[in-house]
Amino acid sequence: MDTGVGLAVLKPADSPLTLTGITVAYGEKPVVLAVDAAFEPRAMTAIIGPNGAGKSTLLKAALGIVPRLAGAVTVFGQPLAAARSRIAYVPQRASVDWDFPATVLDVVRMGMYRQVGLLRRFTPAQKARTRACLDRVGMEAFADRQIGQLSGGQQQRVFLARALAQAADLYLLDEPFAGVDAATERALVDVLKTLKAEGRTIVAVHHDLATVRDYFDEVLLINQRRIAMGPVGTTFNRVNLQTTYGGRLGAAQVAEIEAQA
Amino acid sequence: MSFLAALSLQAGYNAALVAVGAAMLGFAAGAVGTFLTLRKRALVADALAHATLPGVALAFLAMVALGGDGRSLIGLLAGSALSAGLGLWLIEAMARRTRLPEDAAIGAVLSVFFGAGVVLLTVIQTLSAGRQAGLEGFLLGSTAGMLWQDAVVIAAGGAVALCATYVLRRPLQLLAFDPQQAAALGYDLRRLDLALMALVMAVTVIGLKLVGLVLIVALLIIPAVTARLWSNRSGRMIWLAGGIGALSAYVGAALSASVADVPTGPIMVLIAAAVFAVSLLVAPQRGILAGAIRRARLRRDWA
Amino acid sequence: MLTRRQMMASAVAVAAVPLAARAADPVTVVATTGMIADAAAVIGGDAVAVQGLMGPGVDPHGYRQTRTDIVALARADLVLWHGLYLEAQLESLLQEMASRTTVVAVADRLPHDVLIAHTQYADKFDPHVWMDPGLWSLVAGYVGDALAAAQPTAEAAMRARQADYQTRIAGLRGYAAETLASVPAGARVLVTAHDAFSYFGRAFGFEVVGIQGISTESEAGLARVAEVVDLLVARKIGAVFVESSVSDRNMRALQEGARARGHAVDIGGTLFSDAMGATGTYEGSYLGMIDHNVTTIARALGGQVPQAGWQGRLGQA
Repeated sequence: MDTGVGLAVLKPADSPLTLTGITVAYGEKPVVLAVDAAFEPRAMTAIIGPNGAGKSTLLKAALGIVPRLAGAVTVFGQPLAAARSRIAYVPQRASVDWDFPATVLDVVRMGMYRQVGLLRRFTPAQKARTRACLDRVGMEAFADRQIGQLSGGQQQRVFLARALAQAADLYLLDEPFAGVDAATERALVDVLKTLKAEGRTIVAVHHDLATVRDYFDEVLLINQRRIAMGPVGTTFNRVNLQTTYGGRLGAAQVAEIEAQA
Repeated sequence: MSFLAALSLQAGYNAALVAVGAAMLGFAAGAVGTFLTLRKRALVADALAHATLPGVALAFLAMVALGGDGRSLIGLLAGSALSAGLGLWLIEAMARRTRLPEDAAIGAVLSVFFGAGVVLLTVIQTLSAGRQAGLEGFLLGSTAGMLWQDAVVIAAGGAVALCATYVLRRPLQLLAFDPQQAAALGYDLRRLDLALMALVMAVTVIGLKLVGLVLIVALLIIPAVTARLWSNRSGRMIWLAGGIGALSAYVGAALSASVADVPTGPIMVLIAAAVFAVSLLVAPQRGILAGAIRRARLRRDWA
Repeated sequence: MLTRRQMMASAVAVAAVPLAARAADPVTVVATTGMIADAAAVIGGDAVAVQGLMGPGVDPHGYRQTRTDIVALARADLVLWHGLYLEAQLESLLQEMASRTTVVAVADRLPHDVLIAHTQYADKFDPHVWMDPGLWSLVAGYVGDALAAAQPTAEAAMRARQADYQTRIAGLRGYAAETLASVPAGARVLVTAHDAFSYFGRAFGFEVVGIQGISTESEAGLARVAEVVDLLVARKIGAVFVESSVSDRNMRALQEGARARGHAVDIGGTLFSDAMGATGTYEGSYLGMIDHNVTTIARALGGQVPQAGWQGRLGQA
């Protein structure tokens, strides 16, 4: 059941991210069709759907990383261009060649390039912040390590540290727990929950249905179109899941999910 | 003139001019080439270089038709930049608007432009324009007949390219590593890529005289990949690549000056390749020897 | 009403007209260099239609044939080329042409004892023989031989023109010897873009120095430039010369190199080395070409020289 949380209830100025009618196509193939969503502030929202549902594409289109055919985006009530400094994006780990010549610290610094500018040096305060962010994800000891030598979980932590360094109000993460060991997953979730407690908003494309209830407050189910959006308690149910996954979820799987409620 | 005399700038004004000009060019090529290889665009650079040839020929014809000398370096380089720019635009347009994969578009532009250039050169050769010899020197580079004004053009162009690279080093590094993050942060990716190609074009154009268009891409790539063997940080790579490029170009120019009848471009590239080969062997972490020693130690520890 | 005899006579007369016309048809001659084309045109006169492949400013060492050239060569009754490996890129084409039409290498027929050996190849000779009017007069004779063989009916007239031409060349040679003798002994060094002037040097007592070798296809190393700069400075040579068919960059590089050593060197003028001047001008003929070279060289190196050259016919040099 779609509780219809959206424009009628939340004023755009309150919502950290409001998407209206987002449509994206690769060539002639539609990937995202007229999706509306107003994300709840100070909450963790999961974007759920099957492979090829357009989850990553939705985030990328919202940020202008891929071009959209139609639709509008407002961030904290303002157009995207004006409010970019309030957003931090964590792309999929696999989208990067980790053999690139950079240390862990280099990667975190890259997140601050917009703040530091083209020519200015990093101030001592900025340098301290990068180290603090690394510490927060437990990677302080690896600061000078070449990124190609990191494990998957360590790479994901570095990516999150880079996002933290931007001191954003809205965090958009693309499959942050994919291919990551259990300890890292726990550590990352703790960081995200702390961010939420600080009053920030988290939106994450999530792949593991079993952990949605544990980690997230809100959920957006999409399969090219928006299927449902709302609090996890009411919206993350059998009917919506079967609709989203086109009946491909096994009965046992759905039962397990429901049992967690 | 002995090789050592040429190396130490003792071999006369002309040789010194060539060596210093070459060093500046080599440094700019190494620095720009670092971002080029990190961004994985080396093939486009090769197409750009080959696409300069028709521009050079047409510029020559235009200057002669207007009653000029026909071989003013600035005019020729301007022509080369225009046709290279056209080639770049075509590659982008083809890749974007047709089903042609990018490497096919690159290959098509490279060969068609180069072929057109060769035909134009043959036409020029039969004209009564006189003094047409010398354009073939742009293929493989030559130190002969290098004038003070040429050295100024090369030095100025190299300096501008270096400054621009330094100013853009942060966005270019981010672009090469994580373009999605760069876009999310608000960088205009298309403009950054164009800026990178403009830098490549600048290096290509000023390197036409000394290195030639066929091999300039090697001077962009080889110092950068050599630097990768020695450094794990892209910031340091730029300086290393610049230094290796400058060294190869300088020694190559000195060698070419002291040995008669050898075109300059190939010598510079061979020296750069030699430096690469040695580095491949002895670089401390990524070299072959280092790897073998590490494996031997591992086997011994676990035996 | 015509008698039978009158009809026979007029029939013969009518039949004879095309015969006479055919005898007057000019022989199609294609020549490679402008100098050979000039000689063929002067000697052949009306009896020949001459076409040259390489125009003013074209470098024969590196010249490659175009399709139009091939067509012209195939249609020619007589092909005259220089030989002595001057037209290096055309050798195989011309040898192929020899099976279709008459092909004569006119400078090849010079006896070897008058030729200068090639500086780089043991079994080859320096091809720039036209720089010595004495030798070129011999070559004009060979051109006359070839034309006479192709058009025997006009031989008498052609031989007369040939003799006249050779006389004029002899006159030019006299002028050259006299004018160049007036250049002071210490200044008798001719520095040019490539080694085209050895025959000139031998004929008129000049030391010749070329930056590039005998063929312009050879690269001029910086070492060579430095050598020549040393020479300019040591011998205090006042002028070097640019060539019309070769890039002038090396000469300008020489100038800068000498200036860096505190010795100012002028560009004494543009010489016609491998090609003649613009078509239709006096310098666009062999006599004009040599006249221009001699006058320019003598004037630039400090000799006594009439303003407009040999017979007052030189344009603005």
